[in-house]
Amino acid sequence: MRGKNALTVIVGISALLLAACSQGGTTSSAADAGTTEAATATMPAPFDAGPVKIALVQNSGAGDYFQQWTNGANLQAKAIGFDMQTYDAQADNAKQATDMETAIGSGVKGIIVDHGNADTMCPGINKAVAAGIAVVVYDVDIRKCAPTAVFTSQSDESLASLVLAQAATDLGKDKTVGYVNVLGIAPLDRRHVIWEQVKKDNNWTEKFFVGKFTNSVATDNAQLADAALKKNPGVAGIFAPYDELAKGTISAIYQNNLQAKVKVYGIDISNADIEIMTKADSPWTATAGTDPNAIGAGVVRAMALQLAGQLNKTEVSFPGVLITAQFLKDNAIKNMTDLRAKLPELNLTKEVTADWIPTVAFN
Amino acid sequence: MNMETPAVTRIQFNVRDLLVKYGFIAVTLILFLLFFTTQDTFRLSTTFFSMLKFTSVVAITGLGITLSMAVGGLDLSVGAVAGMSVTLSAMTMVIYNQTGIVAVGIVLLAGAVIGAVNAFLIVVLKIPDLLATLASMFTVMGLKLVPVNGQSVSSGMILRDGSTARGKFTDAFLKMDTGKVGPIPYPVILFFVLTLITWFFLTRTKWGRAMYAVGSNPEAARLAGVRVKRYRALAYILSGILASISGLILASRIGQGDISAGNSLLLDSVAVALVGTSVLGLGRPNAWGTALGAFLMGVVITGLTIAGFPYYGQDVVKGLVLLLALIFSFTLSRKKSRFVPAV
Repeated sequence: MRGKNALTVIVGISALLLAACSQGGTTSSAADAGTTEAATATMPAPFDAGPVKIALVQNSGAGDYFQQWTNGANLQAKAIGFDMQTYDAQADNAKQATDMETAIGSGVKGIIVDHGNADTMCPGINKAVAAGIAVVVYDVDIRKCAPTAVFTSQSDESLASLVLAQAATDLGKDKTVGYVNVLGIAPLDRRHVIWEQVKKDNNWTEKFFVGKFTNSVATDNAQLADAALKKNPGVAGIFAPYDELAKGTISAIYQNNLQAKVKVYGIDISNADIEIMTKADSPWTATAGTDPNAIGAGVVRAMALQLAGQLNKTEVSFPGVLITAQFLKDNAIKNMTDLRAKLPELNLTKEVTADWIPTVAFN
Repeated sequence: MNMETPAVTRIQFNVRDLLVKYGFIAVTLILFLLFFTTQDTFRLSTTFFSMLKFTSVVAITGLGITLSMAVGGLDLSVGAVAGMSVTLSAMTMVIYNQTGIVAVGIVLLAGAVIGAVNAFLIVVLKIPDLLATLASMFTVMGLKLVPVNGQSVSSGMILRDGSTARGKFTDAFLKMDTGKVGPIPYPVILFFVLTLITWFFLTRTKWGRAMYAVGSNPEAARLAGVRVKRYRALAYILSGILASISGLILASRIGQGDISAGNSLLLDSVAVALVGTSVLGLGRPNAWGTALGAFLMGVVITGLTIAGFPYYGQDVVKGLVLLLALIFSFTLSRKKSRFVPAV
């Protein structure tokens, strides 16, 4: 009896922990094999003398997005001839701080920091820079606390501008619109700034602004959007600048049978998103996105340029690409692989590169 | 034929005893040497010390678990207490603009209070150890989020009344994790000293021996005149304090009130305390065993990371090492191991 009870408790705890860990609903795609475009010039120092050792200090390498990002980074690192050591903190911020120390002590020439807290990572980043190690950071805003390191990010401004320009063309001026977003999250805040501007430029009237961030964003925001649409069924378009928010908004539109009247503009792209956008009566009209593979590769190229002394800036931002439902349907695109083949701009092969860098593309 | 049998049996017995006694230490050494010879980065002293530093948090929490296991229980709230300490440190310094010393004082006090609440639930309200500490685990995890609205606390954050937080993590507080004596980081020294104290307490004082007595047979201990309730209460209070100390190191390392901090700590520290029971064939929770268990986990994680193993592969190896240690103490050992908590 005693043993059985203890077992029950332990099984119960495990189930709870598992439930807490599993979230997110994007379909995972297999690692994409890249193709490398040969370099047209000889490599400068330090690349002319054998493999250059660098480290990748990641906050988390798990999940659809990070897996693709890391795949892109690995392929590009291999093409350039980096010997890259990867540290994955498994979303444990304290471990990422000690990983950074191990990386600094390991005698590498450069360290790439991928995600994490600025407060946690800045001391290590500054220590590395002081030790003469090149540091390139992705998506941790260290511009204030470590201004000498290279800050790279995906351009939220470009993503929002692209999709909202399409919305302005489709809808026209003087319309009523809805908005589903959550403020207080850095990338969503940056997208919000563009929304305010476009709304003003086109004289749109915002009938509702709802949204909350939870463990199941799509489901919870469907309820909010549903209530908002019941009150304001006449809106011409809704901006939901994150794919989970867009999914929630879309299920609310179907519930209210408004799919022929209301257009949705989202941000981000994945296999699951493509499936929703290409449904015959889908209200999701346009989105803007980047390919995580290409971003990972771009960050590694930024490191190569920095080590060769050719980057000459401390901020790099990777632009997004506009993707309309019409484009997806016209080209019979079913998944990310099809999309990359039809939309080579996603590869960012012209961004942050030089003639001596063999650039990796994914298709 | 009849003459040979006893001799063969004796050799088998010796191998078995050797395995039980030194098997675990041998596994640690073999893995260490394996990484040491094959991985350049693993050989660096900086890698060694950052490994120990990373291990110290799990080890110190594991010492608390060791104490609760010694009295025949198990403290499931340690991870939650460490996480709460991170948020409390951040609140004290960032929101209330107090010094690092004040934060340390408040955190240690809070750890002792949660330990005392656990003790009250178990000793006075007679709730079984696992269930009581499970309940307090969830309560503490939720409670710490109430004053901060479920948000991580960082310097310059916007408070509920619209003003900006004035304070920040003080340099002295951040020094707890980054400071060093020679090449040895402060958390590693703390880890060593706390292991030494716990070992001395458990094996060289009458209180520690009484704790083991309570754990192995509470009824016999009571009849021998040991105040069973007091010792069980003491174990949980000390466990709470140790968990809050590891929370302080975490807070200093992260440099903000990260609400996810401490989440992974419970399972890791239970694992190192369990692994520790097999060291030297003791078959009971003990301080050096826990420290060595934590060291082995550090070797496995650091070594496999440097060798380029993915994170899920690391969990597989961690699980197998735990299993091996349990085979040493349950399957092979002739001593009756008794440290699985009663519900």
